[in-house]
Amino acid sequence: METKLDVQNLNAWFHKKQALKNINIKIPEKQVTAIIGPSGCGKSTFVRCINRMHELSPGARVEGSIVMDGLDIYGGIDAMDVRRRIGMVFQKPNPFPNMSVADNVVAGLRLAGGYKNEELDRITDDNLKEVGLWGEVKDELYKSGASLSGGQQQRLCIARALAMKPEVLLMDEPTSALDPLSTAKIEELVKKLKVDNTIVIVTHNVQQAARISDMVAFFYLGELIEFDETRVIFEKPTNQLTERYITGRFG
Amino acid sequence: MRLLSRKHTEILVKILCIVVTIVVISPLLWIIGKVIYTGLPAWNWNFFTTIIGPPESSTSGIGPAIEGTFIMNGIACLFGIPLGIFTGIYLAEYAHDSIFASVIRTAVESMAGVPSLIMGLFAAALIVENLNRNQPTALAGSFALGLMIIPLVARATEESMRVVSNDIREAAIALGIPKWRRTLQIVVGIASGGIISGALLAFARISGETAPLLFTAYFNDFWPTGVNQAMASLQVYIYNNALQPYSAAIANAWGAALLLILIVLGINIIVRIFIRPKYQEGF
Repeated sequence: METKLDVQNLNAWFHKKQALKNINIKIPEKQVTAIIGPSGCGKSTFVRCINRMHELSPGARVEGSIVMDGLDIYGGIDAMDVRRRIGMVFQKPNPFPNMSVADNVVAGLRLAGGYKNEELDRITDDNLKEVGLWGEVKDELYKSGASLSGGQQQRLCIARALAMKPEVLLMDEPTSALDPLSTAKIEELVKKLKVDNTIVIVTHNVQQAARISDMVAFFYLGELIEFDETRVIFEKPTNQLTERYITGRFG
Repeated sequence: MRLLSRKHTEILVKILCIVVTIVVISPLLWIIGKVIYTGLPAWNWNFFTTIIGPPESSTSGIGPAIEGTFIMNGIACLFGIPLGIFTGIYLAEYAHDSIFASVIRTAVESMAGVPSLIMGLFAAALIVENLNRNQPTALAGSFALGLMIIPLVARATEESMRVVSNDIREAAIALGIPKWRRTLQIVVGIASGGIISGALLAFARISGETAPLLFTAYFNDFWPTGVNQAMASLQVYIYNNALQPYSAAIANAWGAALLLILIVLGINIIVRIFIRPKYQEGF
């Protein structure tokens, strides 16, 4: 398994409070890595460090390095370039309400400029098909992105992230605001997307991690407690904390 | 035993609120009724299309005053709205909580509270006296009106941008969209309904301001031929005619007042019916 993201000695703070403590982890390419742990363990902070969004919070600070394909994303490159290569999907679906469904998909590309309209139309269609939304919205492409249902909005947001052709897709609890049926669709989609994409998904749902991930990282109080193949984590975790968390004895 | 049951108290409070509301809005209805009743007899085609004659003449019109009001409001909006919008954008997206920002915010608040008469005096001193050799000019009137628009539009812009959810900004950040594009093309886009409403309401507000024009644009009986000259306006027309001893002049003042109040009410209704609901979807 090739390493896509090599996280080395990563520390993160909010003002004086340390949210991540010396994290070292090698995230494999074209696999689904699930980040689990109780609330406040630093799992969201961790993914927000990967696309350099953590540093935008007031009082936030980051130390350490994250190497992607031999290049340290904290090594003096522009944060905007990092974010174009590492896409992100959030907990709450957040399509742009002033744009149509079609415009939402290509919002990132259109605002970057340099694309012809026919090209954008093709990218819109391709990505809506990719996330399984095409059949549902093909007659409503010009309605507001906010008019779709919650589950559809979330898949629209995934399509919007995929349109940028990211190398890594971060998902921060993408199904926690959705109903079970929409959750199932997104889980299926994640399994399909890993063929071409490296996926890091934060989830508070241990069963979800078991269903869709190849690797699991368990965080507790800002530390990485255990990182291994999903099968190993769920069958024979080496750390007692991990075992207690996945069996639902705390969290 | 309690004097009133809970149910009776409920009904009593509701009736009280309804009665007070009726008392509060009745002056507005009274004003509109009075203006329509007294102003409508002055209305005829001639009234809107001819120049302003001698005050005792019943055949004189308000044509130049209508045109003057729209020209001066237009120029005021032309510079006041963009300046207000950019100030609002700065306050909403860039200012954060710095000392400089709170100074600017306080200044904008205070500017909204400056009496319009003072704005007029300032424009007269600065432009009419210093730059225009004491000649009245519509440009000075527009300048004074524009100064009044800036804080109104700035505040409307800031408020409508602040209610845009932070999730939307994060979505744009995660796509690698630079801040200026996020701000101008996404956040301003979403806030545009509120910004347009604010601009229209500011236009309505200055349509009624008389003091900024009294010593700047002054007055002119004839059709405007340029902007660097004395210019009539509905407001000053009403003010001048109301002071006349002739009944024809008073009647014409009511006629002009009816037009002015319809312009202001019309803008408010347009904003309420067409703009606000349309943009409130999807928040």
